[in-house]
Amino acid sequence: MWNNSWSIKEGIMACGGLIAIGLVLYLCTGPVEWSSFAWPLDLYILGFYVAALIILFLLRKKLYFVRWAMSYNAAVPALVAVAFMTFLMGMIKQVPVSVSAGDVSIFHRMISFWPFILVYLWMATIVGLVSIKHLVSFRLSGIPFLLNHLGLFIALLAATLGSADMKRLTMNTRIGQTEWRATDYDGNLYELPLAIELLNFSIDEYPPKLMLIDNATGNALPSGSPEHLMLEDGVKSGKLCGWNIEVLDKIELAASVNGQDTIKYVEWPSTGATYAANVRAVSADGKNVASGWVSPGSFLFPYQALRLDSICSLVMPDREPRRYSSDVIIYTESGKKCNETIEVNNPAEIEGWKIYQLSYDETKGRWSDISVFELVKDPWLPAVYVGIIMMMLGAVCMFVTAQKNNTQKNSES
Amino acid sequence: MISWDYFIYFAALSVLLWIAGAWKAFKGARKSACAFTATGLLVFGTFIGLLWLSLERPPLRTMGETRLWYSFFLPLAGLITYIRWKYKWILSFSTILSIVFICVNLLKPEIHNKALMPALQSPWFAPHVIIYMFAYAMLGAAAIMSIYLLWIKKNPSEDKEMSLCDNLVYVGLAFMTLGMLTGAVWAKEAWGHYWSWDPKETWAAVTWFSYLTYVHLRIGMSNKRKAALYILLLSFVFLQMCWWGINYLPAAQGSSVHTYNMN
Repeated sequence: MWNNSWSIKEGIMACGGLIAIGLVLYLCTGPVEWSSFAWPLDLYILGFYVAALIILFLLRKKLYFVRWAMSYNAAVPALVAVAFMTFLMGMIKQVPVSVSAGDVSIFHRMISFWPFILVYLWMATIVGLVSIKHLVSFRLSGIPFLLNHLGLFIALLAATLGSADMKRLTMNTRIGQTEWRATDYDGNLYELPLAIELLNFSIDEYPPKLMLIDNATGNALPSGSPEHLMLEDGVKSGKLCGWNIEVLDKIELAASVNGQDTIKYVEWPSTGATYAANVRAVSADGKNVASGWVSPGSFLFPYQALRLDSICSLVMPDREPRRYSSDVIIYTESGKKCNETIEVNNPAEIEGWKIYQLSYDETKGRWSDISVFELVKDPWLPAVYVGIIMMMLGAVCMFVTAQKNNTQKNSES
Repeated sequence: MISWDYFIYFAALSVLLWIAGAWKAFKGARKSACAFTATGLLVFGTFIGLLWLSLERPPLRTMGETRLWYSFFLPLAGLITYIRWKYKWILSFSTILSIVFICVNLLKPEIHNKALMPALQSPWFAPHVIIYMFAYAMLGAAAIMSIYLLWIKKNPSEDKEMSLCDNLVYVGLAFMTLGMLTGAVWAKEAWGHYWSWDPKETWAAVTWFSYLTYVHLRIGMSNKRKAALYILLLSFVFLQMCWWGINYLPAAQGSSVHTYNMN
């Protein structure tokens, strides 16, 4: 076996063997509990693993296995195996971590499945070994290779080992109150070294839309690709499935008032107000005419549809949020105090915590007085970013040198 | 203001120009081939720009809108390849493929409204998707090349042709890597984590590793040309899964945060 002529066959066997060992490990020990790798265990593992790789590399002259592991005969099958295990993961629905592990089969949680992990570990080992090799015999022309491989190695290791140290907590806040407690996925309550006072929560909405729905099924029309008419400023009329729609009146903040036999809307600038539009609809042939108010409703008022004929009705769906944001004051244990506006895609950052706008009281929509934040602490993030930036630079190098590499290769051959 | 109703006119003019360019390329008139194709790109690009203005957001949210970019980048990738490697037929191929995507957009129009959910309102949005679309176009061209070598020419023996494949993949993979990593940085800002094994991310990883297999096979075992070309095609199938296939894949239903074209 040690006849120094290992080829791609041994590479395939290595991956097959790792998958088999992984299955045995799974049957003996069950799924991998990533949360048990928390600090400082992950640091020890990292140190041990990198040291092991360096020692293996130093012994490469004696160990044919190491020299083979740094060859394409090992790399190509490892990549195929990684792609295959990830492919399986893509074909099988994965269950989020918020569902408790006891309820799901292992295939629905591939990241805890030993064969999946071992195959990735094997790839990481190869990538680590060739990175060391290129670091030791450093050449300028080897920089793109190093950026790509070492970058992936750092990002992969930091992301995997650091996952146990990451905290993701949810915090509910109410306008005017200060909150310092948050819960994790399992509902455990944590007291944080920081507190958030919600000063204000606001939602900008897109203009409301008019749509037709089927009276019998409630589905939007035409089914499959529903049409809509957006009531932007200046829009006075439009067409929906042949119906000519004319907007007679619209009220941004309205309340519904029951008349004798109809419902009408009046100005009402107060919490719980809804949008309302008075419209007139004429069918394509001009025979059917309907007019009246439509409104998406709010937590105070019911929605209002306008029945056009026996087939369809005109409705105004809930307005879509354009932007929602929370004005907060953040207090830290160390006595810091800062004002921030937190919105989607614009988290606040303080003392290692990132604070994200997650949600609000959706039953109240724009009148919500509750804002929900997600608080994330990921101490390994800087290392992951180092890896990501290296890979980005590596990708730029790959793009720039694509042509050059090939000409070299061709001239060599 | 411009709307999708005008698409057919812009598209028709662009397609005519691209066909003229492809014809000139066949005839060996390189300068006019480039000029026609570039003018076609200008017309098509103008439509995208005007649509961007009238929607008041980048036209990148729905599948129809990403197809729009794809139909733009294909002839662009074709033009770059033509200028660099002088293949007479590449412009015809890129034009035909682009026409397919234009026809899909004409025959299966989607609702295009102005609403852009808060999660997409980010400076990362446009670069992330545009970089990916350019990568897809490059890798699409590589897939066409592999079909040509495997079944039309039936003999991938010429170094020049294999190195065209390699270069298209290098450029495509470089952009795909950038697309994936900008996505990771954006995800950290928007969703709190850079990688969540969301179905779109999982399939992006499958695609990425698959193209990496091609690259390593080509460098390490350059005589295995047919195997490499089959991997190239398989990778492109994975890419389709990542791009739109997961919208129909049962395993990805209801669990992806990457679905934005629901109305």
